[in-house]
Amino acid sequence: MTIAVERLDEVVTALRSVLRDEQILTSKPDRYNRARVPAPFPVHRWAERLPDLAVLPTSTEEVAAVVRIANDLRVPVVPRDGGTGLTDGAVPLRGGIVVDVKRMNQVKELDLDNRTVTVGTGISMLKLNEQLAKHGLFYPDDPASYPCSLVGGRIGTSGWSLIGSRYGHTRDLVLSFDHVLPTGEVMHVGDGIGHKVSKSSSGYQLKQLFMGHQGTLGIATEATLKLFPKPEAELSPFWAFDNYDDAYACVGALARAGVATFAGAVLFDEWKVAYLRRDDEAYIPQPSDVRALVCAVMYGYEDEVRPAGRRLFRIAKEHGARYLGDEISEGDWAARHDRYATPMHGRTKAGQVVPMSWHCEDAAINYTHLPSVTKAWHEIVAELRRRTDVFDDWGMFAYTSGNTGVDYLTEIDVGIWEQQLDDRAWEMWVKAKRDIAAVALAHHGSISACHGSCREGEVDLVPDELGRGFDVMLEVKRALDPNNIMNPGKYLLDRAYESGARP
Amino acid sequence: MSDDAEDAPIGFRYAEQYTPPPPQRVSDVAITTHEHVFEVDPRLMERWVLQQEFPNWDSLRIMNSRGDHLAWMHRHFAATVVTGSELLAEVDAEDGDA
Repeated sequence: MTIAVERLDEVVTALRSVLRDEQILTSKPDRYNRARVPAPFPVHRWAERLPDLAVLPTSTEEVAAVVRIANDLRVPVVPRDGGTGLTDGAVPLRGGIVVDVKRMNQVKELDLDNRTVTVGTGISMLKLNEQLAKHGLFYPDDPASYPCSLVGGRIGTSGWSLIGSRYGHTRDLVLSFDHVLPTGEVMHVGDGIGHKVSKSSSGYQLKQLFMGHQGTLGIATEATLKLFPKPEAELSPFWAFDNYDDAYACVGALARAGVATFAGAVLFDEWKVAYLRRDDEAYIPQPSDVRALVCAVMYGYEDEVRPAGRRLFRIAKEHGARYLGDEISEGDWAARHDRYATPMHGRTKAGQVVPMSWHCEDAAINYTHLPSVTKAWHEIVAELRRRTDVFDDWGMFAYTSGNTGVDYLTEIDVGIWEQQLDDRAWEMWVKAKRDIAAVALAHHGSISACHGSCREGEVDLVPDELGRGFDVMLEVKRALDPNNIMNPGKYLLDRAYESGARP
Repeated sequence: MSDDAEDAPIGFRYAEQYTPPPPQRVSDVAITTHEHVFEVDPRLMERWVLQQEFPNWDSLRIMNSRGDHLAWMHRHFAATVVTGSELLAEVDAEDGDA
């Protein structure tokens, strides 16, 4: 905790001037439940990551009032939406006030003519799409955490969507939003000052700056989103290969085909197939010559998807693919969000089942570097596993980020036996994360395509990746958050306040 | 209700519910009992995580619920699912492979 008891009383008293009592949560369960995210967590040091209290505002004005109080009293503020992020954006590192936006979950306006919806940022995409479906509309931001992540978290992390190759990612789908700055001022951020403008050339393009900051530059409270017709048809073939190289060639050809309804293609490597063979009902019975998988996904009208699908099937056939059948293809795609809901287990080196939590390290990697990054990352995790059963290699996949095949969200999944974590194992993990990030940079990639890069380990290399750009980050942080109250301790931004730091 | 259903025993029969179909080995680490129900080989769940026993109705409920969940997710994202095997058959026919 960072707030002494007598100061905590002062903070709560001040908050009571702008919130009702039931919006201010100070109990132990309320605080512990808002301390962590699904990513592996040093559970043996959970108490060091607790907020002092949480608040549940219901409007932009209430969020702004809370932030003004925090800024006046120099109390840390940590924005929290779904708490599903994988880089600890919502994890308090210095105690303080967690601002939980889940009650800001209303649909404020549905504009059928301009195809936009304006929502409180506490709404989930799943719940939003249930309402939009009544109008034949669809908001296509589809993270793995789709059922439980919230629009505001997608803005704060600049999220990556599983069908982003067709519809774009969060940065493309959010047109504008209201944003509470670290001083408590409210700003509208969009292209220009537009609420429903998708392209403006007026002024600096600030929208991107206030997305993906992991809560270090403020809190999005209300957002206007771009809508599409709900797709008429879905196609998601999975193909098997007896070697990685053919699968790699195939996924590249599919991504480069330029098919308009193409929503994504995924390459699963040998380690991933081996992992699936342990427990996944679709892959347990597969013959042993299945060594790699490729999946492609398409959305659109049926008279678009069918001919385009035939084109992709032909490409797959030319690369020696074996179609895995309708049940596996359709079922595996529909199960794409289930990692967030399914208890995981890994194996000791002796083969015994142990409870593990799922974690994944990601990077943005060009197609031509995928094989060498894959090899290097597995070697890093193999070294971890040689030293301890706390870690288990669950394989890798590479997923198109766009519709031309230029770069891939490249991810290695690692099971972590959290109950066995101690300082030694945690240090090993942090070093591995640093090494994984270094491999991405050595291959001219970015440390993260999706999760963000502000956790221990990888964050050490962010200044290397951004160069002078990291200094600009420090300058922006200090200019907008003069008292370092907004999510302090993240992204090495404390350096902005060190003496001698560039003004 | 059919005559067969009327003749079926009513109520929960413990021994019946806790006697799944005989396990069949499907790989070196997995077995199957009910159709489409796969389990980790019990020998791998003896130390850190012990295998739980489920009554048959619950195993089947979980499996069928999963099917419901996947069907819901398809409907949530699109009105129809294009069947890949049909497209593959069309491609094969064009190639004279059919």
